[in-house]
Amino acid sequence: MKILVCISCVPDTTSKIAIDPSTSQISSQGLTFIVGPYDDYALSRAIELKESNGAEVIVLHVGGSESEALIRKCLALGADSAVRVDGNPTTSAQIANAIVSYVKQNPMDLILMGKESIDYNSGIVHGLVAGALGYTHFNPVMHLDVAGDGLKLEVEMDGGKMEVSCPLPAVLGCQEPIAEWKIPSMRGIMTARTKEIVVLPLETTSQIQIVKAEIAETARKNKMIKAEDAEQLIDLLRTETNVL
Amino acid sequence: MKKVAIIAQTKEGQLSETSIQLLSFLSSFSPESILLLAVGEVKFSAVPSSKSVEVITLSEGLWADSSSIEPLAEILEGFTVFGIKSIQVDNLLSLLAASSSQEMISGVQQLTYSAGKFTISKSIFSGKASLTVTSESASYFSLNRNFDFSGNAAYGDQSISSVSTLTNASGSKASILALKPITGAIPLPDAALVVGAGRGLKDPGNWTIVEDLAKALGAATACSKPVSDLNWRPHHEHVGQTGVKISPNLYIACGISGAIQHLAGVNGSRIVVVINNDPEAPFFKHADYGIVGDVNDILPRLTKKLQSH
Repeated sequence: MKILVCISCVPDTTSKIAIDPSTSQISSQGLTFIVGPYDDYALSRAIELKESNGAEVIVLHVGGSESEALIRKCLALGADSAVRVDGNPTTSAQIANAIVSYVKQNPMDLILMGKESIDYNSGIVHGLVAGALGYTHFNPVMHLDVAGDGLKLEVEMDGGKMEVSCPLPAVLGCQEPIAEWKIPSMRGIMTARTKEIVVLPLETTSQIQIVKAEIAETARKNKMIKAEDAEQLIDLLRTETNVL
Repeated sequence: MKKVAIIAQTKEGQLSETSIQLLSFLSSFSPESILLLAVGEVKFSAVPSSKSVEVITLSEGLWADSSSIEPLAEILEGFTVFGIKSIQVDNLLSLLAASSSQEMISGVQQLTYSAGKFTISKSIFSGKASLTVTSESASYFSLNRNFDFSGNAAYGDQSISSVSTLTNASGSKASILALKPITGAIPLPDAALVVGAGRGLKDPGNWTIVEDLAKALGAATACSKPVSDLNWRPHHEHVGQTGVKISPNLYIACGISGAIQHLAGVNGSRIVVVINNDPEAPFFKHADYGIVGDVNDILPRLTKKLQSH
């Protein structure tokens, strides 16, 4: 089985987001980047499948050369090779189409990625890739097992979960508890140094124009109520904020 | 502007409140009749709108690949399609968008249309920031649940013009083996009121005080990640960066310290109440109302107060 794992490289959850006034975009200054946590789950499951069933795992990232250290980490975890589509994509469609053009040249049985990237939160790249390729699509997948020629999945849906039988090829958005995050071994880190990262140009475009990013200030009241007067909270919720 | 279609979810045959709001909102700038695609049964015969409304019901089941969505994609050719964000709506919209080579924008917080151009404000970084984008050509939009419909005009009821059903039976190669709906509880993502609890509760046996308060409020229950990791509470109750993201009118956090990963899931809440015995808990900085105290004392007193009148 050939598995493509698409990863995003995103600011760490604890990052303080700031705007670069010269571009009106999110400033990358001082941010620590990580592989998207949901993508990390997807990669972990792909590596488990490689170990249990035998598979070739290829990691794909659409982004600049600054992401190579994180791609290298994915190789250290056990991915066989990597592709970086070099550019600075601004929309989901641009990323999805870059993945689609790669897969059209290099057919895959299974394409895994996180259910969303934690920076722009669109959560639609997997659906766009599946729609464009005509592959079966499920999201978010919480359990994934190989069953015969296809897969058996547990998928979250609005108001519950379902178990499905999914034929290949498929594109899946992943979330916990699909796998446990893994830590690269020393041997993995050493062998990753010699694994190949193919760099391809980003040729896809988007008709959506980015205007500006702004920090969302949620002003909170920060009103403290004494423990002995706790019941007052109910009155305040009824009269001051009308939420009850 | 192109013709407008809405993908709406129904509950017990009725349109959800947000779907009705979305319909009113779009009817103000739709050029002609609106196409309403209802997922599930339709028991309503009129909807508030300024334009006539045609309804197509989509059969239950999987719309998970291009062969199953093909008939729907053909119908939607030439439409601008809107939905309210949910797992199934976003999945369907993204498949439809790509299969017809259209662009999609999700997480829409504000939307205006003028001079042939959409201007959209989109929530990013789990609500910590917003992004303004413009597009003349994007045809698929998923609006956040807490999209601001407050400027909506009030329209009278419009009889729906025709109802037909579209099935996906022709195509999907995938099949459902088992459905496991969550029963007996208010679904968390849609809940207007949420009571969440964390490790401060000390023991899963102590959750009755949380459930009692939630019941008195008519609220859904939620929990922090450590609590679901310990299997004290089911995974689907986990709210946070890697769990469910909620945007209720009221979120009451009990015994949750307020780690940044948890805040990422609750930033969208309109009013936040924090109850914690640690006055240094970082969550208090992000609260509208805070009470420093023991949850075992405070929660039953709040429940009693709610029950008394």
